[in-house]
Amino acid sequence: MSRVSERGTILGNAVSKIKRVISVVLLFTMACSDARNEDPLSESEFSGFRVALLTSGPVSDAGWYGSAYEGIQLIEKTFGARISHQQTSTPAEFDEALRAYAVSGYRLIFAHGFEYQDAAIRVGEQFPEVTIIVSSGGRVSENVIPLIFELEEGSYIAGVVASRITKTGIVGMVGGVSTPPAEATFTGFEAGAKSVNPDVEVLVNWIGSWDDVAMAKEAAVTLIRRGVDVLIHNTDAASFGVFQAVREARDSGEEVWAMGMNRDQNDVVPEVILGSAVIRIPEAFLRLAKLWKEGKLPSGEAYYAGGQSGAADYVVNPSLAGKYKPELMAEIDSIRLGIIDGLIAVPRIDFLERVEGSF
Amino acid sequence: MKGHDAWVALAVSLLALLLTVFLTTGALVLGGYSPLLTFQSLLAGSFGSLDSFFGVTLVRAVPLIVIGLAVTVAFKSGVWNIGAEGQFYAGAIAGVWVGLNVGDYPSYFSVPLVFLSASVAGALWALLPALMRTRLGVGEVVTTILMNFVAIHLVSYIVRWPLQEERGVFPNTDLIDESVRLPTIVPGTGLHLGFVVAVILVIGLSFFFSNTSMGFQLRAMGGSQEATRVSGRSSIPQLLIVTFLLSGSLAGLAGGIEIAGRSFALYEGLSPGWGYTAIAVALLADLNFIAVLFTGIFFGALEGGAGAMQREAGIPATWVAGIEALVLLSVLASDRLFRRLLRPRRKED
Repeated sequence: MSRVSERGTILGNAVSKIKRVISVVLLFTMACSDARNEDPLSESEFSGFRVALLTSGPVSDAGWYGSAYEGIQLIEKTFGARISHQQTSTPAEFDEALRAYAVSGYRLIFAHGFEYQDAAIRVGEQFPEVTIIVSSGGRVSENVIPLIFELEEGSYIAGVVASRITKTGIVGMVGGVSTPPAEATFTGFEAGAKSVNPDVEVLVNWIGSWDDVAMAKEAAVTLIRRGVDVLIHNTDAASFGVFQAVREARDSGEEVWAMGMNRDQNDVVPEVILGSAVIRIPEAFLRLAKLWKEGKLPSGEAYYAGGQSGAADYVVNPSLAGKYKPELMAEIDSIRLGIIDGLIAVPRIDFLERVEGSF
Repeated sequence: MKGHDAWVALAVSLLALLLTVFLTTGALVLGGYSPLLTFQSLLAGSFGSLDSFFGVTLVRAVPLIVIGLAVTVAFKSGVWNIGAEGQFYAGAIAGVWVGLNVGDYPSYFSVPLVFLSASVAGALWALLPALMRTRLGVGEVVTTILMNFVAIHLVSYIVRWPLQEERGVFPNTDLIDESVRLPTIVPGTGLHLGFVVAVILVIGLSFFFSNTSMGFQLRAMGGSQEATRVSGRSSIPQLLIVTFLLSGSLAGLAGGIEIAGRSFALYEGLSPGWGYTAIAVALLADLNFIAVLFTGIFFGALEGGAGAMQREAGIPATWVAGIEALVLLSVLASDRLFRRLLRPRRKED
């Protein structure tokens, strides 16, 4: 049949054309890599202070990832380090990205989230000269160091505030992915709330995602319908959904308040956010980088960033400061001091595991 | 056919390519990024070195090729299986469950068992939509998509309760034993045996579809279900079930390969939507099995290069996604133009 033979020639033509295209691409690639070698910058390819950041979400989230990016920018500004960031989307990509940074001379890598820990241990084993900091990680090895933010301290204070402000006696929490560090913040919040009023009811709703705005909004609306009038969250970009739900409830005449978490979110929706339980990720990153640069970062153990170093706190929203009675302000200050001095025991969850030998 | 047309087609493709480069360059310059560095890192990150070609491009291509084959099998036979994502997860769940329990056995036994269980799980995941289609006449486009969500949430449940790591802290399973992991085929890179499996599958399926009676019947059904039914030689429901099961088992196998070859444990979000990307892989290949191998590698290179674009050129992830889309659109557009211009004008038929 003529049709078949026509197809054959088309295919043949296409194949030879593809071959030509491939050879052009290869030539171009080789030219590029040549250009790379002549690049004067590549003299210092493996020298200088290089710091990398990996996140599994967008750094535009005004929260967890965004503060990490601010952290490495701060390191760039302070130490003149060369910085680089990659957003990874799947666990299978973690090894690849960590290895790529290790190979191109990055000696300090911030892997911002517990999800990186298995890959970090694997790559850390292959590149002993590289230090990988895993935020909220649970596995420690010689050069893989979990960075534990004691966010439960700020959450505890937020719990106290929520308990003092609520009129219905019900406060709520919208959580992202239920992990030990995230649960710890809610345990802290609940303990704080119950410390001033044991009868206050605390409801939780986990949405199983850090960035699903729609789901977070739905979860918040559900909680508000159940009578919650002070609502805290522990998510990333999904927090916008929580704030949106609270704002809409306020627009329809209910008196509902929100609270921020992870970083100072008070100016995100200033008219509904009472305050934020914060961790100062940039400061913690900078401190870690400084210790690492001076060779003073203890290897093989976790690094704790809490209220003592100013890395964890509760920040009152200045535009809603009028909602706080002077007694409450005083109470916040005394609790803050109490936590630092160890007089107030904030519940903590310990989840570290040492990895030795092959993994 | 006139040789003249081929030159026009080539010129059009080049024009399309130049246009993309031009558009992307314009966007990059406006955004304050270096276009040269961007393209350089895109190419260097995907083809620039042994490690980036074998360890990045080909490794990323493996799931795309295997799932691309699953989609091709289905689409070729007239089954719109949009559920490869869910079948992949079903395979990954079964693969990790078996993988965690066969650590004490030799690899030549445990690895095939992981593959087998993953394929079976993927096939079973496709069975429900298959039965709904053949028994109740419910369109598979909807049912297979819905099964994706069930699978994704099932993974969330599995990694928190039944198969959570032993110390019970993080939402993931323990790692499978060394003996169950696929060996590397290019030393020093992450390229694992899964790529060889993918190539064998490409050849096998290509043979199966063009040289066996079952393959012919499936192709005939894809061409026209009505004609195949009227011919009276094949039972459509049976062929449909075969297609669903074959397609599902391939997608499931991809899950098993991913567990045994790359992630070694089950995590949430293991697939960044490969089940959907694979549809593009299959369609760009014009539902040709051999071509799926190359379109899979093309997508692997694009995604691998995208990572390097972020690392080396400092392009934000959202920009990278946009550039990826521009490149893909131009390839698709020039591919179609190329085909249209190359198609000989038949008057004699």
